[in-house]
Amino acid sequence: MSVPLGYYLMLGGVLFAIGLCGALTRKNAIAVLMSIEIMFNAAILNFVVFWYYLHNGALTGQVFALFAIAVAAAESAVGLALVIAVYRHYRSVDVDEMRSLKG
Amino acid sequence: MNFVFLTLSAITVLGALLAVTLRNLVHCLLALVLFFLGIAGHFFLMRADFLGAVQILIYIGAVAVLILFAIMLTRNISGTEGGRGSLGGAWWFGVAIAATLAGAMCVFVRRSELVSKLPYGATEEGVVKEIGKLLVSDWVVPLEIMAVLLTAALIGAVVIALEEEKKR
Repeated sequence: MSVPLGYYLMLGGVLFAIGLCGALTRKNAIAVLMSIEIMFNAAILNFVVFWYYLHNGALTGQVFALFAIAVAAAESAVGLALVIAVYRHYRSVDVDEMRSLKG
Repeated sequence: MNFVFLTLSAITVLGALLAVTLRNLVHCLLALVLFFLGIAGHFFLMRADFLGAVQILIYIGAVAVLILFAIMLTRNISGTEGGRGSLGGAWWFGVAIAATLAGAMCVFVRRSELVSKLPYGATEEGVVKEIGKLLVSDWVVPLEIMAVLLTAALIGAVVIALEEEKKR
C-alpha cells in the first residue's frame, strides 16, 4: 500500500490524455461521448487520489467525488439524448457532417 | 511499487486505449466497461469502498446501458460504424496533442514536491454511515441542488430525444 502520490497522478494524466485523443480523433459522436466519459473518470480518480493522500480524517473529498459522479451521469444522459436528436435530424452521428453553423 | 496497483493500472489503461481505438462501437463499449471496472478497483484499493460501489452501480449499471441503447438507436445501417479521422487525414494531429499533454503532465508531476507523498492512512470503519450523515447535514444544500439537476436532466433528456417525434 505504499505507492507514492506521483504515480497515481501520472496514471490520471495518461488516462485523461487517452480520452482527449479519442475525443479529438473519433468520427462517431457516441465514441466522442465515450472518450469524454474516460476524461471524466480520470478527473474523478484524481479527486479520490487527493482525498486518499491528503485527508485529515475528513470525508469531504469522497462527498465531492460523489457529486462529480452525479454530474457526470446527468451529462451523459443529456449528451446521449442530444446524439439521438441529431441522428433523427441528419440520419447520421458523424461529427464531420454536423456543420450547419459553418459560415 | 505495488503489484495490485500495477495490475489495476494496466487493466485501466488497456481498457481506455481499446475504447478509443476499436472500430466496432459495441466492442468500444465493452472496453469502456473494463476501464470503469479498473477505476472502481482503484477506488477499492484506496479504501473508498462506497465510491467503488457507486462507480460500478452508476457507470457500469446505468451509463454503459445508456450508451448501448444510444448505439442501438442510432446505428447507421449503410455506413461503417466507429472509425476515426475527425480531422480528415490528420488524425495524428490529435494524437500528437494528447501525447504532448500526457508528457507535460508527467514532467510537471515529477517536479512537484507532492510526488513522493505517502497515503495519510486508512479511515476507521463505518465510512458509509459518516458519508450519509455528511450528506444530510453539512452538504444538504448541494444534495438538494443535485436532486433538482438530476430531475432536470431526466426531463430534459426525454424532451430532447422526443422533440422531432412531436413535429411529425
